[in-house]
Amino acid sequence: MRLGFIGFGAMGKPMAEHLLRAGHELSVWSRRPASADFLLARGATWCASPAAVARASEIVCTNVTGSADVEALAGELAQGFSPGGIHLDFSTIAPDAARRIAAMYAGGGVDFVDAPVSGGSGGAQAATLSIMWGGKLCEAVSPGGTALATRLQPIFEVLGKTIVRVGEVGAGQVAKACNQMVMVAAIEACAEAARLAEAAGVDFAKVRSAMLGGSAGSRVLEVFGGRMAAREFAPGVEARLHHKDYALLMDEAVKIGVALPVSAAVWQQLNALMGSGWGRDDSSSLLRVLEAGTEPDPAR
Amino acid sequence: MNVGFIGLGLMGRPMALHLERAGHALHLWARRPESLAPFAAVNARTHATPAEVAKHADVVIVMVADAPDVEKVCLGEDGLAATGKPGLIVVDMSTINPNAARSIGQRLAEKGIEFVDAPVSGGETGAINAALTVMVGGTPAAFEKVKPLLEKMGKSVTLIGDSGAGQVAKACNQILTGVGVLAVAEAFNFAARSGVDPAKVREALLGGFAYSKILENHGQRMLDRNFKPGFKAWMHQKDLRIVMEEAHRLGLMLPSAAATA
Repeated sequence: MRLGFIGFGAMGKPMAEHLLRAGHELSVWSRRPASADFLLARGATWCASPAAVARASEIVCTNVTGSADVEALAGELAQGFSPGGIHLDFSTIAPDAARRIAAMYAGGGVDFVDAPVSGGSGGAQAATLSIMWGGKLCEAVSPGGTALATRLQPIFEVLGKTIVRVGEVGAGQVAKACNQMVMVAAIEACAEAARLAEAAGVDFAKVRSAMLGGSAGSRVLEVFGGRMAAREFAPGVEARLHHKDYALLMDEAVKIGVALPVSAAVWQQLNALMGSGWGRDDSSSLLRVLEAGTEPDPAR
Repeated sequence: MNVGFIGLGLMGRPMALHLERAGHALHLWARRPESLAPFAAVNARTHATPAEVAKHADVVIVMVADAPDVEKVCLGEDGLAATGKPGLIVVDMSTINPNAARSIGQRLAEKGIEFVDAPVSGGETGAINAALTVMVGGTPAAFEKVKPLLEKMGKSVTLIGDSGAGQVAKACNQILTGVGVLAVAEAFNFAARSGVDPAKVREALLGGFAYSKILENHGQRMLDRNFKPGFKAWMHQKDLRIVMEEAHRLGLMLPSAAATA
């Protein structure tokens, strides 16, 4: 398939490589051209602009940071897409932004699909991501015709192992917000457990391994709990990205009027983490937020 | 082995039956006589007081609701300490405050009775399937002696540390599960209010970093709107009270646990 790809960060880079390796033609553009060199060396084609990427591709994948980045990119891609084109965005953005972009494309017969992922750079490298997507059932140019899922399947199958169409455009972002609520609350809970164990003079590494097989077992306890036990705070997942996601989901909570008491408490801890200058460290640094201001244990 | 068992509720009943099935002779006392009914046909003797149980047992397992109950069974009038001979091991599998566990342990030690805290996670299902997670605090010697018994009730039995350490581990466990349940509830409500199907959200999240036993089991119960226990909510509230008592005593900031408690 003729694909485009824009956004070669920790997630986008391995994802683009998987698509190339699976035999797809890849047209690329980047604000920092050097970041695409590794793909050009593997046979990808450089384009002069996002519009040129859209002209060369049936589907353009993007994986950038914020709502504004995706909206600006979509404006440029729209100038190159033909009817039937698909903009498949893997970024984590506001559900509303996703819906606005879809509306902007609709007149031109172009589909927008929000397909945020979970699983981190490890999941991206191993092609085991969980992909939660929102979009129309059928492509805009042939209502009642080809299912979007069918057209997207060749891409999804080389990137992830859990693929769920959550609902209409924006629903993928709602699911991702839920993912972040559950995941980062689990990281915070893990940090609080580690802090309690440590203060009570109990080895958290042992507590963690005892809990792993039981009802408290989770991917977060395994991965982030492990980092806390080892006091390894290098990323992993940069905490600033979780902080960004919380701003999005709390903003959404304000709009729709729902109470999120645990998420609100977690959000404050992420704010404190950022204020301590640990934004580019792993989110397991939430443990260090709980320790801040306490005397370091001289025995450690 | 002669094993005393006190506390034959939802959890204790199947746990005691596992021990009997493994060939141990049970010695029982129950506050409510009807709790003894399921044991009429098995190798079990009932006694009039905990003290009578202690007379006959090498190890006594206690599985009651909270610290005052454990204290009463161990140290109250006609309690285990009244007759327990030196060398008796009391294994408390209830979830109580770590400090209360240490204090009960010290007072039993004065009588030569060894105390082990061994709270569990896994709920009634885990108890029925002998698949509990058992978190143990006590001396390595006592742990080795009771480990074969604990392994008949649980699939994971871990010595965490000294007396009280099992309860600390359980408190950690309850932070994770308590916060986890509320976070999943928040997420599902958020999804529903955004016009998105929470069942689809759960399905998508199970494959990623948000995967947890809570999302899998409690998440499904929320979708089914099945609010039968599982694990009784008031018990979880009690467990989080223990967490917050510890936070207060040790001077800890535990914001997500506090929001949940």
